Amino acid sequence: MRRVGVDKVDTGVAAKIQDIDDTPTLPMTGAAYLPGAAYDEMIAHGGDVRAHYAALQSRISTLGAGELADRQRMLERSFLLQGITFTVYGADSATERIIPTDLFPRILPAQEWAKIEAGLTQRLQALNMFLADIYGEQQILMDGVVPRELVLGAPSYRREMQNLYVPHKAYANVCGSDLIRGQDGEFAVLEDNLRVPSGVSYMLANRDASKRTFPGAYREAGVRPVERYPDLLLATLKSMSADWRPNPQVVVLTPGVYNSAYYEHAYLARLMGVPLVEGRDLVVHDNMVYMRTTTGLRRVDVIYRRVDDDFIDPLTFRRDSSLGAAGLFNAYRAGNVVICNAPGTGVADDKAVYAFVPDIIRYYLGEDAILPNIETFLCREPAQLGHVLDNLDKLVVKAVGASGGYGMLVGPHASARERSEFADALKADPANYIAQPTIQLSTAPCLVDGRIEPRHVDLRPFILSGEKTVVTPGALTRVALKRGSLVVNSSQGGGSKDTWVLAEENGHNGHGHGGNGHGADKASASSKESLA
Amino acid sequence: MMLARVADSLYWLGRYIERAEHLSRLSTVMLNATLDQTDTGAEAVRIALSAVGETDLTAGAFEAAKGLVLDRTDPNSVVSSLARARENARQVRDQITTETWERLNLLYLKVMDRNAGREFADNSVTFLHDIIADVHLFKGAADTTMSHGESWRFMMVGMYLERAQLIAGLLEACFAEGSPRVNDHLALVSLLRMGCALEPYLRVYTAEIEPRHILEFMVFDEDFPRSIRFATSQIEKHLSELARHVEATGRAAPERLAGRLKARLEFADVGELETQGAGELLTTVANECARIHQAIYETFVAYPLEMRLPA
Repeated sequence: MRRVGVDKVDTGVAAKIQDIDDTPTLPMTGAAYLPGAAYDEMIAHGGDVRAHYAALQSRISTLGAGELADRQRMLERSFLLQGITFTVYGADSATERIIPTDLFPRILPAQEWAKIEAGLTQRLQALNMFLADIYGEQQILMDGVVPRELVLGAPSYRREMQNLYVPHKAYANVCGSDLIRGQDGEFAVLEDNLRVPSGVSYMLANRDASKRTFPGAYREAGVRPVERYPDLLLATLKSMSADWRPNPQVVVLTPGVYNSAYYEHAYLARLMGVPLVEGRDLVVHDNMVYMRTTTGLRRVDVIYRRVDDDFIDPLTFRRDSSLGAAGLFNAYRAGNVVICNAPGTGVADDKAVYAFVPDIIRYYLGEDAILPNIETFLCREPAQLGHVLDNLDKLVVKAVGASGGYGMLVGPHASARERSEFADALKADPANYIAQPTIQLSTAPCLVDGRIEPRHVDLRPFILSGEKTVVTPGALTRVALKRGSLVVNSSQGGGSKDTWVLAEENGHNGHGHGGNGHGADKASASSKESLA
Repeated sequence: MMLARVADSLYWLGRYIERAEHLSRLSTVMLNATLDQTDTGAEAVRIALSAVGETDLTAGAFEAAKGLVLDRTDPNSVVSSLARARENARQVRDQITTETWERLNLLYLKVMDRNAGREFADNSVTFLHDIIADVHLFKGAADTTMSHGESWRFMMVGMYLERAQLIAGLLEACFAEGSPRVNDHLALVSLLRMGCALEPYLRVYTAEIEPRHILEFMVFDEDFPRSIRFATSQIEKHLSELARHVEATGRAAPERLAGRLKARLEFADVGELETQGAGELLTTVANECARIHQAIYETFVAYPLEMRLPA
């Protein structure tokens, strides 16, 4: 049998032991890693380690529980130090908390990624064409492909955007789509995120951390870098104004330091080398946008806003907002500034419009969707509502307008009372709800209380679209940290982990002769790589 | 060119860091002085507390120091200053380097730790020594990793302006008219320590410690980084650089105010200070620093928009 439960094994020797014995169990304090019924990212159904996980699995299996805990602590400390935290305010104290981050990366082989990349590019292309159409001629509505009232009645539809010129027809410049892998092992799109998607800083910070935690396995696996995201984002933003200003002034607009994603706003501004502005720094005069600088007012050309539509301009949208700048939208309409993402993109990631995305792709591109949708029931249709009400115990029901895991019923996990309360809400306002079958999300190994256990995960890659459309080869993998839970949102107890997209099949080094790689793991502390 | 709000935050970041360092030093010197069985202890406590404007001098040295360092309800304590420094740094996180930020964040996490009170009680001198050393690391990281451009200059202006005011306050507690005369050798040594001036002073004046020389050194010395003259000349230097790009006319010209104060200190007659007392000059320093602060606001931060709109 394998040698189990050994702490602080000499890595060189341990690697050889692992090469001889490749049963998939892990020597974690004597306990095996046992995936459940869901598709597991690391262990195939027969019990074998999937080839693309070999380098990492062999690395993990040489580490004892003590060393894993050490590395987990090191990782958490590094996040705390960098200030990747949110603040919990108590009676007389403020505590810094990090968003839980898991030690083990999730790994995607090259051919799976190729399909994801093609699918996401196709999808965002079609959705941008859809936005250009509904804010223009509305051909798709006239052709009856998407119900008119569904689009024009959505709260996220912005009449103010009608007939407004958007360069390259790129309405959604930054998109973060949520993908899940079902029991059949196929990826599907759960949700598009075209408003102000967040999480990309975690993708970058997790990568920075996992390179330090598993440098040997990282090199051996052959992972594609994600570090170009900030400069690609800047290029995308600049391309939005290229036709009329040769060297545009780009800024990031944040709601401010108390926003939960503030770290990300500052991080992106810093890595792009552009000012991080708040609404109070902006002044609109004669339909031009300026920022208040130490040397006077300075023209602003492109605003990467991390403030919701409702709050960007009190004159056009919510009057009580102090997060935006008065007159900003008029300056945008006048063509003197570009707002990214464009206001009104939310109508294309509406949960009801979602059901039509495969049709939208076919309509504009004449292609079938590369990445499938999850089967979706629109409760606005009486027949579908009936089906949903009859099957509440099997379905996930979501409010169309809500996000972040709120306003949602996970049928199989809900009590009879919760289901009946939700049924009443459904009947009262059916148009506000959609339902989907409960998908058993795939699982990936996570370090939980010193043991390696399967936890459900999803995948959020980031797509940039300006003059060109680019998918960064990496993603944020969100983790439902509670055993059995399917909810991965960070506001609901979710965590995250790094995602390795491999450059070639099974890594370029293959498996089993990575002696130098293993040795490098020991020296992890000295091999810190900076993102800056 | 940088955002006015950002310049403001960097300026305050510099001020709060300097304040935290100074208060930590006052506290540790005060605690050390009370270890000896002499009257000097009480004198050192008086100097430290009056230097920070504390009027209630009845508290014991330990309690007083603990308040100065860890009282979260006091906006001028070390912990509050560091919390504010970090809050300002967080607002300009994109302007300072990761190395600089991490030093400050570490320091903040240390003083905010729930065990901080116990650590302070167990060994307050070590605790304070570490804070001061960490502030030095922060300043070193800023100096060696940040570009010495606009961001850094605003931090420096804040730091030196705060320093000039704090040193003026410390000297006023000893040498202003109406303050009790400090003549005791050990008390004077404590004073020098509070200004981080003892070792540099000894190299100039040897161990002959006299109020006259202390004043001369801490107000007029050209090379000592904590003398008021040195701080003023730094303020003037950084403000002149910063003001070069400001076009608007009719502004309050903070660099001119700083230049005037600098000239006054450069050409002051030390003998006069001796005969007339230091009070007047120290008051002038405090008032001029307040005016410079005001002018910085009017020039760089809260200027009227009408004057800067494009024609």
